[in-house]
Amino acid sequence: MNPKLVLDVVRFELRRSLSIGRITIWTILVLFPVALVATVRLFGENREDNPETWGLILYFLIPEVVCLLGLLLWATPAVSTEVEGQTWIYLAMRRSGRNLVLVGKYATAVLWSCSAAWAAATGCTLLLGSTGGFKLWLVICVLSFLSCLAHAALYLIIGTIFFRRTMVTAVFYTLTVEYGLAFVPAMANRLTVNYRLRGLLAEWMDWETARTVTENLGGQESAWLHIIVLLTISAGLVMASVLRLTWTELPTQQEG
Amino acid sequence: MIQLDQVSKLYGTVIGANDLTIRLEPGAYGIVGPNGSGKTTLINLLTGQLKPTLGRVSVLNHDPWRNRKILRRIGLCPATDVLYPNVSAHEWVTYQARLHDLSRTESRQAASESLELVGMTDHMHRPMGEYSLGMRQRTKIAQALAHQPELLILDEPYNGLDPVGRHQMTQLLIRLSEQGTSLLFASHVLHEIEEITSSFLLIHGGRLLASGTAQEIEQIIADTPQEVVLIGIDVPKLIPHLADQAWVDSIQLLAERTQLRIGLRDPGTLYHCIADWISKEGLQIDEFQTADSNLTAIFESLLRHHRGESK
Repeated sequence: MNPKLVLDVVRFELRRSLSIGRITIWTILVLFPVALVATVRLFGENREDNPETWGLILYFLIPEVVCLLGLLLWATPAVSTEVEGQTWIYLAMRRSGRNLVLVGKYATAVLWSCSAAWAAATGCTLLLGSTGGFKLWLVICVLSFLSCLAHAALYLIIGTIFFRRTMVTAVFYTLTVEYGLAFVPAMANRLTVNYRLRGLLAEWMDWETARTVTENLGGQESAWLHIIVLLTISAGLVMASVLRLTWTELPTQQEG
Repeated sequence: MIQLDQVSKLYGTVIGANDLTIRLEPGAYGIVGPNGSGKTTLINLLTGQLKPTLGRVSVLNHDPWRNRKILRRIGLCPATDVLYPNVSAHEWVTYQARLHDLSRTESRQAASESLELVGMTDHMHRPMGEYSLGMRQRTKIAQALAHQPELLILDEPYNGLDPVGRHQMTQLLIRLSEQGTSLLFASHVLHEIEEITSSFLLIHGGRLLASGTAQEIEQIIADTPQEVVLIGIDVPKLIPHLADQAWVDSIQLLAERTQLRIGLRDPGTLYHCIADWISKEGLQIDEFQTADSNLTAIFESLLRHHRGESK
């Protein structure tokens, strides 16, 4: 696969998305955690500068909420918007259109969501001042990037399997697996992205409260293992999505 | 160029293509059929978007489902509209050409040239959201032409074009055909195709009912049992003449004795005799409706031929 072509797909997708609606959503995603942190910091009763408490709040707000919302908007409908807009046929008629467009849309989703997460992390860290510091900012940014890579791949495969009702399926998956299974103290939750991200937060910030119950019960894993698993999940799911899309008959238009 | 061997395509229990066997040499061909007849299924099979349930498809000596590289040599203008509101035609066509692995410079040049071919140069840098239906149709054709395909497939290419646009499109397609590009284009309007080619594939219910030139198809229709309807106050006076004829299958008097529906096996003889009867007796017959007057009737006639009901 030609990386320059993937870059051109990203460029086209970003160009396409330069609409007031998309820019507004990006701004809301950035401002939402910043506004929340500012409100709690200014008016909250419990305003002590505990880096661990603020770190966990930032982790929940940015690599989880901001990244997932951004990816739900970008990665999940990667195929369904083209199918519903009846533009899929134009892309599928190109020699490597199916694969290139999917990988390009994945990269765009990661880039777009990551940029919002990094901007939000910067805003929040500036508000927190010395409470979090550069280390917390850096950890949140890296976790956001890993969260975007893995969750975008998950939503991409959901989008290629369920190209109708994609969003409903992705939200259902997020609620049941990432926010349901991830908190069940069972080995199965080691398969979730949330488990790995929290493990990394605990390792890098040395905060034991960030670890999931499973990690505490089943033994801790190294940061490298978490990263390798996350990257493997991401690459594996993107490849599975490409394969799935290559051999799928998608509706092209109304039958004539 | 195109070869289909006993190709069938099923969508669950619905049949989209039914035992199609087609061999086409390079040239221009029209696919004619009413809406829902299977034209788009055939196009999707030819472009590798659908895998045949049964049979084998070969386009330019390759299986389009297995070998997607062949798409570089095919241009498709689908029937569906395209709308990226804030992207210009030039950006979109460049992007489409780029996805065929043309270099950035080549893609931009190819986009400019193909948009010029369809008369869109003046508008190609405006956002597509501002385009009329006809302008979007031209842009769709430009994306199909940009990579200079050997085979150009067009699904209802005249949709949305005004009479001037239609004429220009016809001239463009004739020119492409003369330059050696093979054309395959689907329409439910027969005369649109007739201006460009005299070779047709007639499809109905997923089946290939007939193929050949307009004359060959006319002959098939003439030899096929069909119905004609005569309208006028004197139509009952024709019944004694018709009742004696061996080639008449049925006669129905309808609409308060002002309509006569005749089922017959030899329309040619009727056309010969009817003028005689009317002029000799001075009958008032206002209208004569034949199968040729609408496509559905032609297809019904061909369906009877397909079932082996011709003489």
